[in-house]
Amino acid sequence: MQITFHVNGKLYKIDVDPRKRLIDILRDNLNLTGTKEGCGEGECGSCTVILDGKAVNSCLVLAAQVRDKEVITVEGLAQNGVLDPLQKSFIGHGAVQCGYCTPGMLMSAKALLMKNPHPTEKEITDAIAGNLCRCTGYNKIIAAIKNVAEEHGDNGK
Amino acid sequence: MKENFDYVGRSYPIHDALGKVTGGLVYAGDMKFPGMLHAKLLLSPIAHGIIKEIDTQKAEELPGVVKVFSYKNSPSTSFSRYRLLPEQENCPADQVLFPRKVRYYGDWVAVVVAEDADIAQEGIKLIDVKYEELPAVTDLSDALESETKIHETGNLIHQYGYTIGDGDQDGEDAEGNQVILESTVRTPKTHHATMETHVCVAQYDFSGKITIWSSCQGAFAVRTIVADFLGLSYNKVRVIKTPVGGSFGGKQEAILEPLAAFLAKETRSTVMLKLNRKECILSTMTRPEVETRLRTTCSPDGKLLKCDIDAVLDAGAYATNAMDYIGGTMGKIAKLYRIPHVNYQAKSVYTNCPVSGAMRGWGSPEFFTAVEVQMDQIAKKLKMDPVTFRLQNLVHPYDMDPVSKISLGNAGIIECLEKGAAEFDWYGRYPGSSGTGRFRIGVGFACAAHKTSMYGGGPEFSTMTLKMNEDGTFVLNTAVQDLGCGSVQSLRIIAGEALGIDPEQILVLEADTDSSPYDFGSYGTRVTYVCGVCTLKVANRVRDQILDVASRTLQVPKQYLKIQNGQVCYMKDKKLHLSFKEIGIISKNKYHLDIIATETYHGVSNPGAYGAHFAEVKVDRSTGLVKVTDYLAVHDIGQVINRSMCEGQVQGAVQMGIGYALCEEIALNARGQVINDSLKNYHVINAPDMPKVRVLLLERGGDDGPFGAKGIGEVAVVPVAAAVVNAVNHALGTDLSLLPLTPKKIVMAIR
Repeated sequence: MQITFHVNGKLYKIDVDPRKRLIDILRDNLNLTGTKEGCGEGECGSCTVILDGKAVNSCLVLAAQVRDKEVITVEGLAQNGVLDPLQKSFIGHGAVQCGYCTPGMLMSAKALLMKNPHPTEKEITDAIAGNLCRCTGYNKIIAAIKNVAEEHGDNGK
Repeated sequence: MKENFDYVGRSYPIHDALGKVTGGLVYAGDMKFPGMLHAKLLLSPIAHGIIKEIDTQKAEELPGVVKVFSYKNSPSTSFSRYRLLPEQENCPADQVLFPRKVRYYGDWVAVVVAEDADIAQEGIKLIDVKYEELPAVTDLSDALESETKIHETGNLIHQYGYTIGDGDQDGEDAEGNQVILESTVRTPKTHHATMETHVCVAQYDFSGKITIWSSCQGAFAVRTIVADFLGLSYNKVRVIKTPVGGSFGGKQEAILEPLAAFLAKETRSTVMLKLNRKECILSTMTRPEVETRLRTTCSPDGKLLKCDIDAVLDAGAYATNAMDYIGGTMGKIAKLYRIPHVNYQAKSVYTNCPVSGAMRGWGSPEFFTAVEVQMDQIAKKLKMDPVTFRLQNLVHPYDMDPVSKISLGNAGIIECLEKGAAEFDWYGRYPGSSGTGRFRIGVGFACAAHKTSMYGGGPEFSTMTLKMNEDGTFVLNTAVQDLGCGSVQSLRIIAGEALGIDPEQILVLEADTDSSPYDFGSYGTRVTYVCGVCTLKVANRVRDQILDVASRTLQVPKQYLKIQNGQVCYMKDKKLHLSFKEIGIISKNKYHLDIIATETYHGVSNPGAYGAHFAEVKVDRSTGLVKVTDYLAVHDIGQVINRSMCEGQVQGAVQMGIGYALCEEIALNARGQVINDSLKNYHVINAPDMPKVRVLLLERGGDDGPFGAKGIGEVAVVPVAAAVVNAVNHALGTDLSLLPLTPKKIVMAIR
């Protein structure tokens, strides 16, 4: 099956098995290995990407479902070598440890801020409820997102 | 003790944070090589049985399948995946790659190597196996009585014990009075739940050498195990540590590497072996389930007199580290309490359960959970405030551990508890009523001790080489492994402080067995305490060489030179100075000198690492659900090296410990099959369930670590479960002690 879709603003036309999952297309076909797989069943959130403005588990999305859609992965956050405020804030707040959940966390947070630039702490916590982290205890991740929401919220779009 | 540091004690991100937030950092599972093959395991669907027949022909005929291996065509060499050093004791070689007799649900039956992972997965489905099922031992309490023998040697792996004082003494005070409390605490078998599952890549090259890229904790141990297993010399196996997406002990043993290396050798290719979550839960390792019986005697005024400890550890189907685990930190009550008479007896047993092994704290969380739950019960029986009760029994600075005869160092547990009780307003909150309605509020706390290296229990040293580049930057060559805890950044900060230069200017290499000096790897709370001193010592030697070159060049005595921010200055005349870059160039061009030093540091002590944690919980009596609503963690850390990373370690440990207390358990059915083999039904605490964790770090120094630092990563998880369980028991007036306290158990207890 041939599909056309955008990833990080770039147009891709690829030939794939329609049963292929989005995560496999990203990692195997497009070499975008920043998106990580932690469970393969939508429970851990490590593979979160933004699909048409919504955070989704890319392990639960099939190739056919991304036809003509727009995908943003962690590789698409920095623009022209300048980090997204969320990326800077994660670094600055010590929100990164082993880093395996980080891409998914960032994408869930990004999707939230794109829709809601000034979320409450509860909205932040709920937005990352599907992203498991085993290293940080979430406190610093929440602080990092909150900081962007407070300081740069309007740039979060 | 407070010093004015330039770099130590501030907050820094993890060294590779940039690669992690951009998605650019390559983990082992992200690696690609031309022609790389993928391997997939067939796991046993039964807990115990004999393979009567195995037919792999259909799988072999599947296009894209390269090779299938089972017990029929793989080595029968037995090995221990835990063994760190050649000829190391206490490492039963009770395992082969593919056994004919499967011993747990998840044991390895066969492997398919194929051109891609999907084909390998298809191949697995085409393998036909007939088993003769045997009765399975699925509970540790049945292991010793059962007629079912899991290994030829019987189900008892090891027995270990010690006595302090008079083991037969009944434990009475001078007037012959005593209060006795007996309880049994069970701590569950849990999954490490690293977000990165186990993975490695092995590559065979034309010279017969095998290179392994592995997400592991100790590259030299992996090399030793793989080389011995395949009969290769140690310079024919190269292990390169890759970024680790979480480990917590789960990647301490060489679980995948012997197989991956064997497959690479047989297929003369590059092979990736990557587990999915189900395989990772079933078939790697778990924290061991432990049943601890305690019988503690104390005087009516609350002085501990005697403790009898009887523990049984479920090792699962293979021993791995089970001999060392029960004699490591488990049972070491004297690290925390002054107690004149102790009798400790522990057994590790085989069962047909998933294989247990190292997990964060190595016995301390299992053991001190039991102790601290019981200490609360004793205080309740004595009608004493539990903080007051602890305070009159806790160890004091520089007490001697009567078992190891090693000093506990500047043990700060009393200060942790006193400061914590004040900060948490313990005396104000504890006596308060827990309410009468559906929701009950309770508070609890627990104290914890852990060790700070392997000193006293075996070899403990580290070797490092530090060199200066011509531009004044540095490279520290070490086999220390960052597991996502910030070890590399800590070493940079220590070296930066010693050299007088921004840590950013120091590159720290990680383990590559071809080129790294020897190090044991990252576990046992040894990295900061031992490797950190090695870093400090090697940096001081390089600093000395820098000063020599500066003194020679500026023609001034060395003792009048000082270093700040990469500049050597003459104290008597500020105009005379040299930058590190100038020194780097002059040393090579003018003096033909290489600024470089190698240092081996041997650990000299093993002080206790301490902490006291306080929790508030809200218990829903209707549903049995518990929410942790407030949390304070106080630690005696000696000296903070990287502040935000220390806080993060503690907060992460609290996440893990709350799960240990309330919801995490690998559960089996009567046939020994794991019933929660996915993150859908194996619950770990997520963001909405996580309280804000206040972290108080006491910097008291006084021990041999770099700038006085001790460890934090392991000890931080030790008190969590007991603090939460004690809070639940406080809220409900119960004595629950069989973890995890699931809603079902809580509702049953209320009824």
